[in-house]
Amino acid sequence: MGNTQRTTLRSILDTQTVVNNAKFVFKIYYARNRTRRLCVNFTVDEIRVMMDKKRNIRNMSVIAHVDHGKSTLTDSLVSKAGIIANARAGETRFTDTRKDEQDRCITIKSTAISMYFELEEKDLVFITNPDQREKSEKGFLINLIDSPGHVDFSSEVTAALRVTDGALVVVDCVSGVCVQTETVLRQAIAERIKPILFMNKMDRALLELQLESEELYQTFQRIVENVNVIIATYSDDSGPMGEVRVDPSKGSVGFGSGLHGWAFTLKQFSEMYADKFKIDLVKLMNRLWGENFFNAQTKKWAKQKDADNKRSFCMYVLDPIYKVFDAIMNFRKEEIDGLLKKLGVTIKHEDADKDGKALLKVVMRSWLPAGEALLQMIAIHLPSPVVAQKYRMEMLYEGPHDDEAALGIKNCDPEAPLMMYVSKMVPTSDKGRFYAFGRVFSGKVITGMKARIMGPNFQPGKKEDLYEKTIQRTILMMGRYVEAIEDVPSGNICGLVGVDQFLVKTGTITTYKNAHNMKVMKFSVSPVVRIAVEPKNPADLPKLVEGLKRLAKSDPMVQCINEESGEHIVAGAGELHLEICLKDLEEDHACIPIKKSDPVVSYRETVSEESDQMCLSKSPNKHNRLFMKAQPMPDGLPEDIDDGKVNPRDDFKTRARYLTDKYEYDVTEARKIWCFGPEGTGPNIMVDCSKGVQYLNEIKDSVVAGFQWAAKEGVMAEENLRGVRFNIYDVTLHTDAIHRGGGQIIPTTRRCLYACLLTAQPRLMEPVYLCEIQCPEVAVGGIYGVLNRRRGHVFEESQVAGTPMFVVKAYLPVNESFGFTADLRSNTGGQAFPQCVFDHWQILPGDPCEAGSKPFVVVQETRKRKGLKEGLPDLSQYLDKFLHVYLKNQKTRGKWIFREHYFSKIR
Amino acid sequence: MFYLIGLGLGDAKDITVKGLEIIKKCDKVYLEAYTSILTVGKESLEEFYGCPLLLADRELCESTIDTILLEAKNKDIALLVVGDPLGATTHTDMLLRAKEFGVKIQIVHNASIMNAVSCCGLQLYNFGETVSIPFWTETWKPDSFFPKIVGNYLRNLHTLCLLDIKVKEPTDESLTKKIRQYMDPKFMTVAEAAKQLVQIIENNPDAGIDKNCLAVGLSRVGADDQRITVMSLQEMQECALGPPLHSLVIPAPNLHPLELDYLTQYRQ
Repeated sequence: MGNTQRTTLRSILDTQTVVNNAKFVFKIYYARNRTRRLCVNFTVDEIRVMMDKKRNIRNMSVIAHVDHGKSTLTDSLVSKAGIIANARAGETRFTDTRKDEQDRCITIKSTAISMYFELEEKDLVFITNPDQREKSEKGFLINLIDSPGHVDFSSEVTAALRVTDGALVVVDCVSGVCVQTETVLRQAIAERIKPILFMNKMDRALLELQLESEELYQTFQRIVENVNVIIATYSDDSGPMGEVRVDPSKGSVGFGSGLHGWAFTLKQFSEMYADKFKIDLVKLMNRLWGENFFNAQTKKWAKQKDADNKRSFCMYVLDPIYKVFDAIMNFRKEEIDGLLKKLGVTIKHEDADKDGKALLKVVMRSWLPAGEALLQMIAIHLPSPVVAQKYRMEMLYEGPHDDEAALGIKNCDPEAPLMMYVSKMVPTSDKGRFYAFGRVFSGKVITGMKARIMGPNFQPGKKEDLYEKTIQRTILMMGRYVEAIEDVPSGNICGLVGVDQFLVKTGTITTYKNAHNMKVMKFSVSPVVRIAVEPKNPADLPKLVEGLKRLAKSDPMVQCINEESGEHIVAGAGELHLEICLKDLEEDHACIPIKKSDPVVSYRETVSEESDQMCLSKSPNKHNRLFMKAQPMPDGLPEDIDDGKVNPRDDFKTRARYLTDKYEYDVTEARKIWCFGPEGTGPNIMVDCSKGVQYLNEIKDSVVAGFQWAAKEGVMAEENLRGVRFNIYDVTLHTDAIHRGGGQIIPTTRRCLYACLLTAQPRLMEPVYLCEIQCPEVAVGGIYGVLNRRRGHVFEESQVAGTPMFVVKAYLPVNESFGFTADLRSNTGGQAFPQCVFDHWQILPGDPCEAGSKPFVVVQETRKRKGLKEGLPDLSQYLDKFLHVYLKNQKTRGKWIFREHYFSKIR
Repeated sequence: MFYLIGLGLGDAKDITVKGLEIIKKCDKVYLEAYTSILTVGKESLEEFYGCPLLLADRELCESTIDTILLEAKNKDIALLVVGDPLGATTHTDMLLRAKEFGVKIQIVHNASIMNAVSCCGLQLYNFGETVSIPFWTETWKPDSFFPKIVGNYLRNLHTLCLLDIKVKEPTDESLTKKIRQYMDPKFMTVAEAAKQLVQIIENNPDAGIDKNCLAVGLSRVGADDQRITVMSLQEMQECALGPPLHSLVIPAPNLHPLELDYLTQYRQ
């Protein structure tokens, strides 16, 4: 890694709070002001009692774009209601906190933060669904999972989403919905996580940008719309989740400032006015948003703006806030006193001599305490496990939807067989050991119980990736504290000790012997950047191998690959992600000095035409012959497969219907998709287009194995294939099963597929980032310059409403992104900061078979790196000769009817 | 000249006089070592033939035979095959290729299990289609040979079942890798074959064949310690017939009296 890149990285890290998050570790929050802290002390037994009240549990994550103020907001929640698990009652741990530890976050190796919050009687009526609250229980146990904001780490977010049912989406109301907000929100909706929205940084809008109230309303309105557009694209209100849209008038949108510690929803304001107006609370909430205008003279409501009426939201919600801001920031002492009396806010003695911003904070915080408003929103609008698991089961469980495990999940039944999903591994203080962190969806996980531990490759009825072991210990993970707990019932989040040795990253734990796996998580980012590592001292190799294993466990997405050539590869989402991983590897996991290669990009191989001839390959014993062709998939299909819209587990008839309707595939062919690949799920397919071939089913497994192999290592540079459809047209086989085993068919299939690829105008695809850059107008020119040099292309440029900031969106090939951040900063005087997230694969223009072309160079470099023979693959190695007669017939008839040709040969 | 010479079934001495004479004048002699084996090792063959033998495994015979054939253009090269050289169907391709290269060929026949099976007393005329029974794996359990056995049975024909042998076969995992790893050699016994057959019969109870039907187990046919045994297929699952190679016969339901008389002497 060059020196420049290092400094960039450091500066990225310094400017963001993501570093700590990057290690996936969570934080313990200390209140800024100790005296104000309402701390809830619970013994483990008391927490255990709460865990049984499954309708009063809320599992949630906080998601946001980097720098939108997620962490400060979480602070205010935790200071209001954070639980400190206390094994020995009476001993409060927060008092241990030293003064210098206050006001700063300490990275610790732990997971979720739990909170306890009681709703008041009057607010309980807002919960209408009986599954959202146990009768006569006002307390709520809220498990909050914090996750990082930087795009390179969105795989951590995915892991967090899986174990939660709801998400608090935080948006900076000044910058609006950004790329990471969208990526994560999309993922949340796909996982059936219900969102609520919080508009953060209102203080900036008022103090820095000085927006007029109508302008501010428009800004809010636009953000709500943007969020709802994303939601509507990926779900609809008639779906199983019910209404997913966020709506200020329903109270599912909050406004405020995490930094200043104040927040509100329309519910808070309606409560203030409901008595005065003698109007029902819910009705009033509806009136306070949208196109509702009030005329103060005539006391009449209207649906349109007139000269003498005013938007209700501005009049009743924003105006009071503006007045407070105005009075305090302009030091109008008398006005302040009057206002405080009106608002019912009393200033404590120690705050009495504050003024300006400091006073503003105190006043706003006691008038509209952030914790209260947000916790109400969470308790009222986010689903309990009972509600959520009902509609999430079909998304979570791979098995039949009516078996014991499925029903257990659906009903969140603690008496059903255990089903737990382990979403990530959390390092323990014991080097090399991990807690398995996850969520119990059904049954109970009990210390000392025997359970089946199933990795992602487990298949029902088989023994691969399956262990039957004892759960050594069940633990509660709260803040930095890990407490042993006897058992954990369905709907809760917990950790397990002793499972890490049987799982790589994720897995399913169950007591039901016919259980299928819980679905594997889909990541929105792909590990497209790779670095080869080796120990500086060759004798340290075993330590490196062990370290790589630990690294693979500790990060949900990083891939550690041992190539057949003996190379060790670490693959991650981007430069930053890799840098952090390698730092961890060097310092924590392997503890040895490591040599790193330059980062390289993974490519994909594809085809651009149909094979120009029927490809024949003969098995080594020449008795088995395969006839196939390759063709490119229609645009959009590979992405549909990536997104799981078309997937190997679908019912074949439904899938065929979809492919026929959307991609005009022949329906009989579409029903005969043999497999997807690589890894059984990738964006390439094998289609059986043959008719009446005897014994075809007996060789299917071997053909599939050969296809998986070829799809993983393409013919050009042994990169994965993408977007290729292979058709089997005919097969001739030896009559005797012994002569058509795997040894004959697997290598032959690969040769035949390689021939198909080479005859179908092979192409290379490279990964492309979607790059979002925020900067002031003067820096825009610099951005264009940098992007142009790096084959980037801008597709959107817009001004953030009400600010002098510009947002430039561009596509940038990942291969050109190394050192991009540094380059951009130096060309814009440090004013532009990019966020890059993997977006799509794009064909690298040019023919890789033509010497001198760009893809040719890439192929040769890759082959060299992998230790393959340089030069181009030779078609004659893969393609076998047809019979003479065959070729002649092909010319005259132009049609492929195989049997006939053979007969004509014999005749 | 390229010679394909059959070695017969038993030991080194089963070779024909003609075959032996050819070996003696050849420049290079290969021994094909994957479709079948003799009861004696390569060393005793070398001693008896008085010339060194080169082992030809599957890869050599299937993938790199071309170089040998080209060499045979100017030299005399022999490939020794256990049994009859054309008993194993896979060698026909070799002959086609030799013809393509313009290499002259000669074949020296010998006894094969295909005819020696009549030692159990069943008449060769009454045999139907021959099948091979492959080793099953976790995922690969082909049973396409079964309908052929049933077909023979219903037409009152005997079925000779050749049993799988694996000599230097690549493992399934290594088939999709560049570095080949090989399985330990293994040979199917009549007991294993019977077990697979019984399993298929149990899955297809209406197939027309019963697991109590008669079965003839043969081992090391042609060797001095050859063994033949007759019992029901069910019992055959527990039958131990000693070292390889084994073969299994499913006789027709209605046997000629002479066949019955002959079989009876092997009845356990």
